[in-house]
Amino acid sequence: MTSADLVTAAPLVAAILVAAAIIVTDIIVPGRPGPALAVAFGGLAIVALLVVTTGQTRAAAFGGAYAVDPLTTFLDLLFISIVALTILFAPDYLEPRDLPIAEFAAVLVFAMTGAMLLAAGTDLLVLFLGLELMVLPGYLLAAYAKRDALSTEGAIKYFLLGSFSSAILLFGLAFVWGMTGTTKVAAVTAHLAALVAGTAPLSPGLAMGLAFMTTGVAFKIAAVPFHYWTPDAYQGSPTPVTGYLSVGPKIGAFALILRLFVGALDPLKADWFIVVAILAATTMTLGNLVALTQNNVKRMLAYSSIAHTGYMLVGLAAYAGGRIEGLEGLLYYGAAYTFMNLGAFAVVAAVQRRPGVTSQLDTFAGLIRREPALAWLMTLFMLSLVGIPPTAGFFAKFSVILPAVQAGGWLTVLAVIAMLNAAAAAFYYLRVVVYMFMRESTTETQPLRHSPLVWTGLLATTILTIGLGLFYSPVFQVVTDAARALS
Amino acid sequence: MTVSSLPILSIVTFLPLAGAIAIAFVPRGRPDLVRWVALGTAGLTWIFSLFLLLGFIPGREAAGGFQFVEQADWIPAFGIQYKLGVDGLSLVLVVLTTTLTWISILASFRSITERVKEYMVSFLILEVGMIGVFLSLDLFLFYIFWEVVLVPMYLIIGIWGGPNRIYATIKFVLYTLVGSLLMLVAILATGFAYSAGHGGQWLGAFDFLSLRQYAGTAGFSDTLQLFAFAAFFLAFAIKVPMFPFHTWLPDAHVEAPTAGSVILAGVLLKLGGYGFIRLALPLSPDAARTYGPAIIVLSLIAIIYGAIVALVQPDLKKLVAYSSVSHMGFVTLGIFIFQEQGLDGAILQMVNHGLITGALFLLVGIIYERTHDRTIAKMGGLSSATPVYAAAFGFFAFASAGLPGLAGFVGEFLVLVGSWAYSPPVAAIASLVMVLGAAYLLWMFQRLFTGELSDFLRGLGHHLTDMNPIEAMTLVPLGTMIVVFGLFPGLVLDLVSGTVHSVLSGVDGATAVHLSLGR
Repeated sequence: MTSADLVTAAPLVAAILVAAAIIVTDIIVPGRPGPALAVAFGGLAIVALLVVTTGQTRAAAFGGAYAVDPLTTFLDLLFISIVALTILFAPDYLEPRDLPIAEFAAVLVFAMTGAMLLAAGTDLLVLFLGLELMVLPGYLLAAYAKRDALSTEGAIKYFLLGSFSSAILLFGLAFVWGMTGTTKVAAVTAHLAALVAGTAPLSPGLAMGLAFMTTGVAFKIAAVPFHYWTPDAYQGSPTPVTGYLSVGPKIGAFALILRLFVGALDPLKADWFIVVAILAATTMTLGNLVALTQNNVKRMLAYSSIAHTGYMLVGLAAYAGGRIEGLEGLLYYGAAYTFMNLGAFAVVAAVQRRPGVTSQLDTFAGLIRREPALAWLMTLFMLSLVGIPPTAGFFAKFSVILPAVQAGGWLTVLAVIAMLNAAAAAFYYLRVVVYMFMRESTTETQPLRHSPLVWTGLLATTILTIGLGLFYSPVFQVVTDAARALS
Repeated sequence: MTVSSLPILSIVTFLPLAGAIAIAFVPRGRPDLVRWVALGTAGLTWIFSLFLLLGFIPGREAAGGFQFVEQADWIPAFGIQYKLGVDGLSLVLVVLTTTLTWISILASFRSITERVKEYMVSFLILEVGMIGVFLSLDLFLFYIFWEVVLVPMYLIIGIWGGPNRIYATIKFVLYTLVGSLLMLVAILATGFAYSAGHGGQWLGAFDFLSLRQYAGTAGFSDTLQLFAFAAFFLAFAIKVPMFPFHTWLPDAHVEAPTAGSVILAGVLLKLGGYGFIRLALPLSPDAARTYGPAIIVLSLIAIIYGAIVALVQPDLKKLVAYSSVSHMGFVTLGIFIFQEQGLDGAILQMVNHGLITGALFLLVGIIYERTHDRTIAKMGGLSSATPVYAAAFGFFAFASAGLPGLAGFVGEFLVLVGSWAYSPPVAAIASLVMVLGAAYLLWMFQRLFTGELSDFLRGLGHHLTDMNPIEAMTLVPLGTMIVVFGLFPGLVLDLVSGTVHSVLSGVDGATAVHLSLGR
């Protein structure tokens, strides 16, 4: 390790220090979340600054195990926004339930370091490390309401299946290492390329490795049929945690896919292409079908998040089908989905501010009369999730569908399936709007007071949900640079 | 004129949005201010659209027949532009839209008392979407405006509608979305085919003019045309609505508030017809030839089926809704016989149907506000109690039945002339409906207005008043236009003749193609 390595990895180091600083602040000023939150936001701003500065030049560190390129920068900034927004939304929900706020922020920042490591990892073992570093705090967060039976149950399911899938993934990585003799992504690629160029059939060992790795990441992104843990984990967790879980680990897992499949396993594209296409079709269709029948908004959003995974996989399939634009679509979709979904969860959390309020659809009845601002914002997020222009959600669909159409053949069919799914999804998203606008509240409740933090976060997600769409061109340029960094 | 130096199309399109934003800042508890701001905005938009009419020079072939063209890059990476332009067809429909919008807003003054602010905002955004669809010259932009229309209508039916409104509005949205999302795939596929045909250049790939030119010269491949046309067809046929995609319409109409029905029948259904003429025919002429006969059969079924079902409707509003299905069948029939009189007639029929059916829905709304019932069987003898209303109703019913001298007649007559040239049996079947149309309208009129005042109506006592001035004011402009267009259909036909010729010349050279599987 040289000092140059440390400079390259400065954002990561800074992130760890921020997490530690939050805990220290909480020890010095116990019982008041204010200072800890200030440290958290200040620290995240510094990390973001470092990410942007180090991202100016491409660099590799630690003997080629850690890379900084436009993709790293893009993903890092996305992770920082996810964590910052979640910390903005959480206090309003945690405080009335007597759940500690400072620890929450610290754990989130720790998870972020894992995700950042994933975004920069160019070594199979580093990638695995990053993945574990990201998901372990996730288990903790899922069980954050430890006196709540549902939260504990969801967390245990999440933990068991998460560890199980990590093991499967690790097993797959071991196969690749065994067959290629290296864990460096670049070396693996070169080795596999030589293998494919020699038209040698995929050796059983590599095939096994590929199968295990695919299964492992499919668990992580909650692709059907590896999605069973999601609804329980999502419904049981405290709502801000659910919001985080639906985007943070998902984008992180996609970062893993980008580094692992698009990076290391690129020469085997033809072998994993069909699997991804089928996963995409089943994931979006089943996710939507089950979401249709949900009466609980949180659970509905959980299943719909499965469906969105499917749409993102369409982008990946289009890439494997020969269209680099597919990756651009995938990245744009990830960013758009992050902000609209976090916004939607923030509204759910705000509505649930009073302890004991469920996230059933009935809770939302007549929201337009009680809290018109929240109702309008929720409508915006729902419309964006459906994919109605000119919101980010529409442009996200556009960005993954276009490459699929370009790739032609069966991928066009996949695009059509995606669009039919989007139409079906309109039903359950708009049902929330129906409840908010068109049904009368069954219980008379007073409007709640929400902290300025929540409003700040909602303002940010709103601006991004609209802005990512209206200013598609500059955003798309960033995404393009990020995607081209891989090839 | 100096009008052309202003971005007048953008002004017409986004003026209602400015009004909507202004309304959003009106404090709660001032519903009257909201109403007047909305009416003022809609009125101003109408006036600007009339300027457009004055500045438009028919027959000028510059810029592919489009005038006042505004162009700016939006997403250069994919050649997506902000491009607006107007030709005769879109001009006519824009003016129809702006006219019906202010009339609808005026008609909602009394009937909408709940959440006036949200209602007016929805209505003005709806207007933005409708005008945008007619003016877009970029397919991507077209699609965006197309979807923008959906949300306000969803809210208008769902919040201010009748008892079964939620079912109706969700059905409306889902039907429309299925069609439009597949249309998006078709738009993307068309754009990509264009860019592939130009060495991967995206420039102009969503530009309607360059696409039309490409379709007319090199032409899109048969496979693409057949699939793209099928997707376009689905989107537009659901909007028109054609048999068998019409089932959302009666529900939506019955549940929608009066003004919602007016706009739904007056403009939203025209989006489908407009889409056929503007996009489907020029971009995939061969496929249009291929599917043409099947679509003619569907149109005939719609014409007859709509009329027969209208005959037996017990509900006044449902009767008018089904008559829409029948009348709109003439539009698709006129388009797909690929023949000048037919297309002229189809466009006239779109305008006339907008005016007449809009007026009929207003009339249904007027009686509903007094009786809170629309069951035809409960009515009777209204002509003695409300003579002005009866006269107005009679006028518009006759216009709808196609009385010569009124607007409804000319459009249907031209379509019949055109279809006679296409195939006499088709014309014969379609003209049968003139009889059926007269039957259900006259029978309805008879049941509503003649005879003794029914017990139900007598029970209403002094609530049963004749039309008030505001209600009359909403109907007078429509009635005037119906008479004027009935006597001088050339006013519309001269405007659209350029469009008609360019569309038909594109289809004339086309031949039916068959799907060849394999690439």
